[in-house]
Amino acid sequence: MKLELKGTPGEVMRAVESLQEFGEAKGIPAGILFGLTLALEECASNIVNHALQRDPAQTFEVTLEHTGEAISIELRDSGIAFDPTLAPPGDGVADDEEEPGGWGIFLVRKYTDNLIYSREGGRNVLRLMKSLPLPA
Amino acid sequence: MPLDIQIVRTAGSDQTGVYTVKLTGSLDTLTAPDLEKELTPVMARCGKDLMFDLAGLKFISSAGLRVFSMVRKQLKERGGMASFISLQPQITEVFAIIKALPGVGMFTSEAEFDSYIAARQRIVQNGQNGQV
Repeated sequence: MKLELKGTPGEVMRAVESLQEFGEAKGIPAGILFGLTLALEECASNIVNHALQRDPAQTFEVTLEHTGEAISIELRDSGIAFDPTLAPPGDGVADDEEEPGGWGIFLVRKYTDNLIYSREGGRNVLRLMKSLPLPA
Repeated sequence: MPLDIQIVRTAGSDQTGVYTVKLTGSLDTLTAPDLEKELTPVMARCGKDLMFDLAGLKFISSAGLRVFSMVRKQLKERGGMASFISLQPQITEVFAIIKALPGVGMFTSEAEFDSYIAARQRIVQNGQNGQV
């Protein structure tokens, strides 16, 4: 499934709802699907808020693939080069002196198995991978 | 999924009351600004404590966690606390993973929260009466 989305928070949530429907149709366990929707929300929000500056005239793409053994989510945008995999690992703890800016990427790492970034043809390409349990 | 926000004063007066914020739906990049806007007048008139009833909250992202973090900091400066009741398992998991909100109260029910508030008020009153 491939989605072309405008650079707005509403479109981020349209992608999330599409993943929810896609995952339910494929029988993805609810716990895994929740984590993937959260990871997609965080990554797509990052694109919209930073790379696209919430400009509805700009677009980004989300591609969902299910192989049976795994699910992958690919995000493509034409913003300035930005590799979220280089963000410090962090520990997710925010005390009173620390702003919670790194929570998004921390959650993405927790809910996915693999996070791969590349710059292809002047576009940021981010792939999220999650293995699925074998059918009983 | 939209976010429904219901704000109810559960104790005290208009100016120093304890308010409950009941959230239903999704607290995300689209809806977190709505919650922040709704909370601004509540933060101005609530006392030291604010309770969030999350029984109906199905989804939360870091955008929503940031709103909770902001509330926690403001209440802590007043010597109070943000509290959360009735979290669904997936929301509890996010809170646990992020370890986002140290110093907040986590309660299983409104009755448990009320007991906590009553006990704290007794301590304050005893202190004002010179009791320890």
